[in-house]
Amino acid sequence: MADTPIISIKHATKRYPGVVALHDVSVDIRQGELHSICGENGAGKSTLMKILSGVITEYDGQIEIRGESVSFRGTREAEACGLSIIHQELNLVEELSAAANVFLGREHTSGLGLLNNRQMNAETSELLKQLECDVHPQAIAGSLRVGDQQLLEIAKALSLNSEILIMDEPTSALTESEVERLYRVIDHLREKGVTILYISHKMDEVFRLSDRITVLRDGKLVKTLEKDQTTPREVTHLMVGREIEEIDLGDSREIGDVVLEVNNLSLPWLGHARAWRLKEISFQLRRGEILGIAGLMGAGRTELLECLFGASDEPPAGKILLENQPVRFRNPNEAKRAGVAMVTEDRKRLGIFAQMCVRENISMCTLEETVTSGVISRKKEAELVNGSVERLSVKTSGPESSITSLSGGNQQKTIIGRWLLTKPKVLLLDDPTRGVDVGAKAELYRLMDQLCREGIAIILTSSELPELLTVSDRILVLAEGRMTAEFDRSEASEAAIMEAATESA
Amino acid sequence: MNSGNDTQSSTRFAKRFRNELGLIVALVIVIGGTIGANLLMNGSADYLNEPVRNLEDILHQTALLGIFALGAAIVIIAGGIDLSSGSMIVFAGSICGLVMLILAPKGPDMLPDPTNVGLFAVCIAIGVTMVVGFMVGTVHTWLITIVRLPPFVATLASLVGLRSLAKILNQAVTAQLGNQVTTVRADDATFAYLSEWWVALVIFIVLGILCWFLMNGTVIGRHLYAMGGNEEAARLSGIRTDHLKWLAYCIGSVTAAIAGVLYTAKVGAANPSTLAVGYELNAIAAAVVGGCSLQGGVGLIPGVMLGVLFLRVVIDSVAKIVRAGSDDYQGMIVGFLVVLAVAFNELRRQGGGAKKSFFPGILGSITIPILAILVGTVIFVMTQKTQGVTVGIVSGVIIGLLLGGLKLTESARSQRT
Repeated sequence: MADTPIISIKHATKRYPGVVALHDVSVDIRQGELHSICGENGAGKSTLMKILSGVITEYDGQIEIRGESVSFRGTREAEACGLSIIHQELNLVEELSAAANVFLGREHTSGLGLLNNRQMNAETSELLKQLECDVHPQAIAGSLRVGDQQLLEIAKALSLNSEILIMDEPTSALTESEVERLYRVIDHLREKGVTILYISHKMDEVFRLSDRITVLRDGKLVKTLEKDQTTPREVTHLMVGREIEEIDLGDSREIGDVVLEVNNLSLPWLGHARAWRLKEISFQLRRGEILGIAGLMGAGRTELLECLFGASDEPPAGKILLENQPVRFRNPNEAKRAGVAMVTEDRKRLGIFAQMCVRENISMCTLEETVTSGVISRKKEAELVNGSVERLSVKTSGPESSITSLSGGNQQKTIIGRWLLTKPKVLLLDDPTRGVDVGAKAELYRLMDQLCREGIAIILTSSELPELLTVSDRILVLAEGRMTAEFDRSEASEAAIMEAATESA
Repeated sequence: MNSGNDTQSSTRFAKRFRNELGLIVALVIVIGGTIGANLLMNGSADYLNEPVRNLEDILHQTALLGIFALGAAIVIIAGGIDLSSGSMIVFAGSICGLVMLILAPKGPDMLPDPTNVGLFAVCIAIGVTMVVGFMVGTVHTWLITIVRLPPFVATLASLVGLRSLAKILNQAVTAQLGNQVTTVRADDATFAYLSEWWVALVIFIVLGILCWFLMNGTVIGRHLYAMGGNEEAARLSGIRTDHLKWLAYCIGSVTAAIAGVLYTAKVGAANPSTLAVGYELNAIAAAVVGGCSLQGGVGLIPGVMLGVLFLRVVIDSVAKIVRAGSDDYQGMIVGFLVVLAVAFNELRRQGGGAKKSFFPGILGSITIPILAILVGTVIFVMTQKTQGVTVGIVSGVIIGLLLGGLKLTESARSQRT
């Protein structure tokens, strides 16, 4: 093992308006090792990787590769330096073929500048074979399974002769057999001397693969550990910190009558082999209850909430009863009127109005209530908004400040505040703590608990099992659009949930 | 404490109406500059000699453009685009003229007499025209929300289609009435009142106030801004985006229909081959100069009104300085102002315009001589009557040298960092 680390990160800091995503992080990566970066969502893992791979170009601190200081102005420069990243959300041009994606931007040409498809197909085919992937090089990228798409990205990195590969939660959307295949691919890469930075919060993977483990929390470096000298328990403890244990939500919540009943809900998926996004889902939701929905990416969590909110592209089949009345929402407006509220998953894309201020973002759903003789009354609007800001303790310099100046957690609170003003009976929260720092998470958990005590029923999805286990009264598990298990709080465990979530159809 | 609040609210005012205040300053500069240039070159300025006539003229033109620019701006704020307004204007004018012709009393030659149709018929004709505006807006909305065409395509189809339809409709209806023509006459005495300059101005101001009220004071307005800013989030907030689009596109077409009636009254006829050609882009340009973002969700009605005024004043000023028909320069000025306004906003958004390199690499090197040739050509055409070719060539060379120097300093600076 060489003495100079292949990557040396020195005092990396990245600030966004209102949040410090990364605070003075220094790590050395040794040549040829598999170094895991662990931390909860929002711990700064992805930010760090984006800095390394040239996605983020403005930051404080220094990056050295093979002892030389670098500052990438784009991913292209990072790739030229032998560093490739496989993003969690894959970066393929879905309309193009597998081979075209592998060679995107560096296409082989024959004389006259024509594309040399034969050579590119042959090389892609060879690369994919090394990765145990039997995809045809001319298959359209968008039609492949997620696992194969991921291998396609790895093939791309291999064709670049990358010596450093960053993998950002590569297994989050894979089936078990695909995960096994990925492990074999990783072993193969390591034999070739590739250094791998592996981002994950799944302990079994991390301990199976890593040489060393770095734990981040709230954008700060907690510790770098040798795998042999630590245990999963210690790492989990370092990741979570003490904050989550402090939350004592008590189980003395009173559960009331059934508010929402879902019978045999199915959502067709046109033109897809599975044919169903959701198939025959039935459950009941009671007043004052938090129902957690677990499932891997693509299991249909968001789709289920969208069906309940009238926001699905296709109308679902089956029955939905709200307070014993059958309902069939054609759009979110009808759901809102009936007392169903939904806080969407992708805050930036589907939640906030970036040009607007905090006041306008909060009052969006209930503006009608502020109208006197046709005009929005600024006074009434301010009353509504100030009430919400205070109740949810949104940290802002004032209701007139821009929503984008708030931290992720506070943005999420304004959106929850927006919906609470509609006085919902059922509140649908789709991964509400994604990209929210730990402190704000705890506040959101307490808020959910408090809302339940006031008689609201909540359906919560989350990509983090500990979160579901902390706050839910019951947990449903989805796998590939079907409901595979239902647990009471007392029966639920991470292992049991994962087992049900990875059950294939 | 109180005074602190005052300064806070006044800075907030300045921040919110930054664009509008800038336009007012720019207006003053342009008018002052024109007067100065006229005095220098001719010893007298038209603006000073005939202020009333000039004011009436500019305000009339501003009002006519402004009426449908308001509609275009609301569509843009709502996150869409309406390319059809120029054709909608002539289509509306034709419909209005045709209805009047149908209702007109028959003359001695058994042909309808368009010069004397009476108040009642004029009102019916205008009413029908407004309904047609609503119909066009509705079809646009249907194409966009149900068929899911991009707004650009849906309204582009109308831009091309409506002008052609107006032409053949005019021919067909006038043929049925006995005398086939393409240009519909609309020179009734009552209808001609609409060509007074103040009629358009009053309509413009009233519409402006209504739009400002709608966009700034009502729930619908707030929702339009929200939809323009983030349509998916708006839909998921329980906002009926389909209904809002219907409203926005109808405002777009109906304001164009109103402008169509006024333009037809002004000309005394609706000629599909010449009337309002390319006006849709003027309206969009005015909205953009007035501070609307083509991405939607941004823009204020007073800004749009000032944007229209600014556009017309600049067009008029250039006409005064070069003493030629303003129509010839109009397109050039509109193009220049739009680039300038959007570039200005973009630089402000990126921040640090001073540090930006404008002519990096090979693209920069090739752009410099092109810009120099362009500037030289423009100055040549503006000065050739008195100066011949020399001034144009000299100024082109100077611009080329200046930009070349700029590039050199830019590349020196980027090498240093």
